[in-house]
Amino acid sequence: MTAAPGLDAALDTAAVTTAGAGRRKPLRLGRRRLTFDYVSFLLVFLVVPVAIFLIFVISPFVQAVYYSMTNWTGFSAEMDFVGLKNFVRLFTDTTFLQAMGNNIVLAIFVPLITLSIALIFASMITVGGPSTGQVRGLAGSSFYRVVSFFPYVIPAIVIGILWALIYSPEGLLNGILEMVGLDPNGFAWLGDERTAMGASIFVIVWGMVGFYMVLFIAAIKGIPSEIYEAARIDGAGRYRTSISITLPLIRDNVQTAVIYIGILALDAFVYMAALNSTGGPGNTTLVMSQYLYRTAFEKSQFGLASAMGVVLAVVTLVFAAIVFLINRLTGGRDDEGRL
Amino acid sequence: MKGMKMEITQSSISRRNLLRGAAATALLLPFGMSLASCAAPGGGGGGGGATGEVTADNPFGVAANSTVDAVIFNGGYGVDYVENAGAIMEKSKGMDGVTVKVSPSTKIATELQPRFVGGTPPDLVDNSGANSIGWNTIIDQLEDLTDVVDAENLEGTKISDTLFAGVKEPGTFDGKFVALNYVMTVYGIWYSSSLFEQNGWEVPKSWEDLKALGEAAKAQGKYLFLWGKEAATYYQTLVIDSAVIQGGDEVRLPLENLEEGCWSNQIIQDILTILHDLIASGYVKPGGSGTQFTEAQAQWSGKEEALLYPSGSWIENEMKSQTAEGFAMMGIPDLPLNGDQTTPAGYMRAEAGEPFIVPTKAKNPAGGKELLRTMLSKESAVAFAKEKLAPTIVKDTVPDDGFGSTALQSQGKMLAAAGDNVFTIKFYNLYGMNSDQLPIWNSFLDGKMSVEEITTQLQALTDKVREDDSVTKIEIK
Repeated sequence: MTAAPGLDAALDTAAVTTAGAGRRKPLRLGRRRLTFDYVSFLLVFLVVPVAIFLIFVISPFVQAVYYSMTNWTGFSAEMDFVGLKNFVRLFTDTTFLQAMGNNIVLAIFVPLITLSIALIFASMITVGGPSTGQVRGLAGSSFYRVVSFFPYVIPAIVIGILWALIYSPEGLLNGILEMVGLDPNGFAWLGDERTAMGASIFVIVWGMVGFYMVLFIAAIKGIPSEIYEAARIDGAGRYRTSISITLPLIRDNVQTAVIYIGILALDAFVYMAALNSTGGPGNTTLVMSQYLYRTAFEKSQFGLASAMGVVLAVVTLVFAAIVFLINRLTGGRDDEGRL
Repeated sequence: MKGMKMEITQSSISRRNLLRGAAATALLLPFGMSLASCAAPGGGGGGGGATGEVTADNPFGVAANSTVDAVIFNGGYGVDYVENAGAIMEKSKGMDGVTVKVSPSTKIATELQPRFVGGTPPDLVDNSGANSIGWNTIIDQLEDLTDVVDAENLEGTKISDTLFAGVKEPGTFDGKFVALNYVMTVYGIWYSSSLFEQNGWEVPKSWEDLKALGEAAKAQGKYLFLWGKEAATYYQTLVIDSAVIQGGDEVRLPLENLEEGCWSNQIIQDILTILHDLIASGYVKPGGSGTQFTEAQAQWSGKEEALLYPSGSWIENEMKSQTAEGFAMMGIPDLPLNGDQTTPAGYMRAEAGEPFIVPTKAKNPAGGKELLRTMLSKESAVAFAKEKLAPTIVKDTVPDDGFGSTALQSQGKMLAAAGDNVFTIKFYNLYGMNSDQLPIWNSFLDGKMSVEEITTQLQALTDKVREDDSVTKIEIK
């Protein structure tokens, strides 16, 4: 709310500039004097950020939308306007539709699995401890908290390369399976249509669980422990507590988390490129961002690639809208503008 | 906040709705960013720049005290060979105060795209690697390099007289010679000659010999072939090259020009059938579609789990540190289908690789050409062959002992046997088809696809490019 006076003043500025032009000094803007403090404040906190935002975020975005309607090859300044032809091509391109389908699978399963696990871990670390005495986490919870954050500290590309090696037919995973008496027979986890997507989802989940767990821990710590104590006295078990107490009280955090990890799943470029740069067996792990990169930099069809970017952006917005809608329909309070 | 909630919800345009709009905009932000990286086309830019006087020592008229800006792909061959040539050039006669700046890059297309669009490209580019710039988009912006090969080298011989046959071919598009490919690459099948000797195996002469060799390998607990997922299309190269060796232009031209039904050619079909049979018989190591290609190649060169590996001649240098002691790598050209080869003996795919280009709009195109002329001098070419164990397009730079490398020796023998009878294959790189072909070949090598299925899918891809009128086609002869 602190930004509001500034905003109001800025709106006033526009309205009264003409009126104020005729007056003599001191220069006044509405009720306010144009002091150095005031002008410099406007400049630093309003004009500069908005300008940066317009130049570096909005204008490239508008440009990309324009390019999506051209046949730009990317290496010359010439291009022809082709209207919506690129979009028609995209929606008749089976590979692109497959990539979009893969993204949708990721956007459904990655948030669901990651956040469920994160929530379980967070509950155990904060309130899932012994059922007598003060409400607290499991013994040694601070140790688990630090350990499960480790994967998040590793860059995504390193995680991808690491797991690509683990999943290789002669890699660690098959080695372990052999040690426990199973015979994987050199099974290619990332090379088989049945397992490639599942194996890739596991890697993303593995990398992200720690971060969302920490996020949920912070949220749960904000809930007064009296509520948990009351629930315990009423005889609620751990499962009941999580579903009926914790989840409703951190609903906003869950919604934020779903949207953030959903955006990550709709992109997923780094993980997928490192695990299966080729798009996986029968393109089963190809995602839109990979196909976009390929179209732009290997086939030099930047116009078409921009169209893919636009579709990706729209899909992401639709995803966010669906999450808001589900939260509303399932009885979530109004979101209070938080995200 | 919670107390205020009621009133705010009731006001018609609440500040919250405004903030929600802002939140939606914030969501757009990451996409704005990713799209923003597709840089905008800017102004035209100059080009040409100052030129110096044309003399015998300075055939392209490089201006004194100018700078040559070279961006070189930093791959298997590194960039030091261009730096060395640059050092020689700086000291050459007629190059007063000229400096050469060599910048390495592993992502040529991504890095240079804004410079091409903005009209400020470098003076010399090695447009190579997985992220190279597609030819059909930049041909119009490149200098014709015929005057480079028509010039005399530093030793005073006309450069075109010192080159292997057909080296201009891979860099010629629609009759314009725009890319000088510097390194001679021989495509073939590579094996450990010591392993073959120990077991008394014969090197195969045609596809018909492969089944027996596969059986022999199996008896030793080894495989005939293996592959890695990013390099599955090496087997496409093997199949195409073999079919062209068997049938010549009748096979090659329909493929190169994306004709209808080009994959249904009988020779290609027969070779695919044999390959499918080898896969079904278990002579190809399973699991390649889940193995990284460097790891797979090490299983061949290091652990000797398979006898043969189809590849270009860069394979020796690439696997240098992971090749078994006493491996004694040798190569043979890709194999004809049977004894009825219709092309001359020794016919093989040998093409110059590492394409160097000089953009027309560069500041100092003459400097770029002069640097190329220096690289084509005997001194630089011999240094390259010795250092990288690969011949350049300059003839007679590799001694008979191949600087101690058996692979280099066999390359020399293959090239000598072929003489002028060499061919090139361009279409899949020209139209950026490799990444779409990879999943198909991975499935086929995995034994999950029949010959009919792979034919249909490869043909469908070819048809898609042919029928896409937004892709500029280049007729290949």
